[in-house]
Amino acid sequence: MSFNINEVSAGMLSAIKGAVAEDWPEVKATAERFLQNKKERLALLAELRIKGELSQAKFESRLQDEKLILEAELNALAVLSKAIAQNAANAALEILGKAVTAAISAAL
Amino acid sequence: MEQHISIQARRYVCIFALLLSVLAMSSCRVQFIPAYDAKIAEQIDATAKAVDKFYLTMLATSTAENEGRAFNNYTEQYVAIEVELNSLLNKNKIRPLNENSIRICEITIQLWQKYKQEHKDDNTLSDGLIKLNNKTFSDIFYAMQVAEKGKELVNNPPQ
Repeated sequence: MSFNINEVSAGMLSAIKGAVAEDWPEVKATAERFLQNKKERLALLAELRIKGELSQAKFESRLQDEKLILEAELNALAVLSKAIAQNAANAALEILGKAVTAAISAAL
Repeated sequence: MEQHISIQARRYVCIFALLLSVLAMSSCRVQFIPAYDAKIAEQIDATAKAVDKFYLTMLATSTAENEGRAFNNYTEQYVAIEVELNSLLNKNKIRPLNENSIRICEITIQLWQKYKQEHKDDNTLSDGLIKLNNKTFSDIFYAMQVAEKGKELVNNPPQ
């Protein structure tokens, strides 16, 4: 029987690391873009309040909206994370599948 | 003779088992998000452009004086854009495993209706608020696009 669980586990771990490393820069760049967007919005919001274009009540209401925008951005990052997790899990399953198939072939 | 047939039968069973296991392993894939939909990505882009055009045109062609920015002047455009947003929400809702994109659409609609109501209540909109609203929606549409394009990251999605 040519099925070595340690070898297969190491192969699966390596596949997971590879998949995550490949996609991670996408998440980092997006999170940085979200942060930059937030800075620009808050700067504009502060400017409007200082100039008197926004009442205190509306200013506070817009700050509440920032929570919703953050929630939208976190949902977008969640999709990226799930895509990465899906790639990693499938890469690991593929390694396992190949090892099991090879072991069965050898046993026949 | 009987022994020969038995060996042959065992061989066929083994080959069948191998084929089955190969089939099982090849279809053993997990899925956490729906497949990328280019048409939805295009619709997000088109709606984002419509919102951008709406606010930029308002800024460029009208002033707050003499009721130039009265809500009634913009009702049709508000409705047209809300229709597109509702369409995006519905298209996202029918896709399984899509709760993140659905939530982003819900938030976009919530804010669109809120800012529309503010415009209606005040019956005007200052230059600063137009810029802030435009920036807010530009950033939310960016998040919506990220969520859709993120689905393209998936290698060999299950069919």
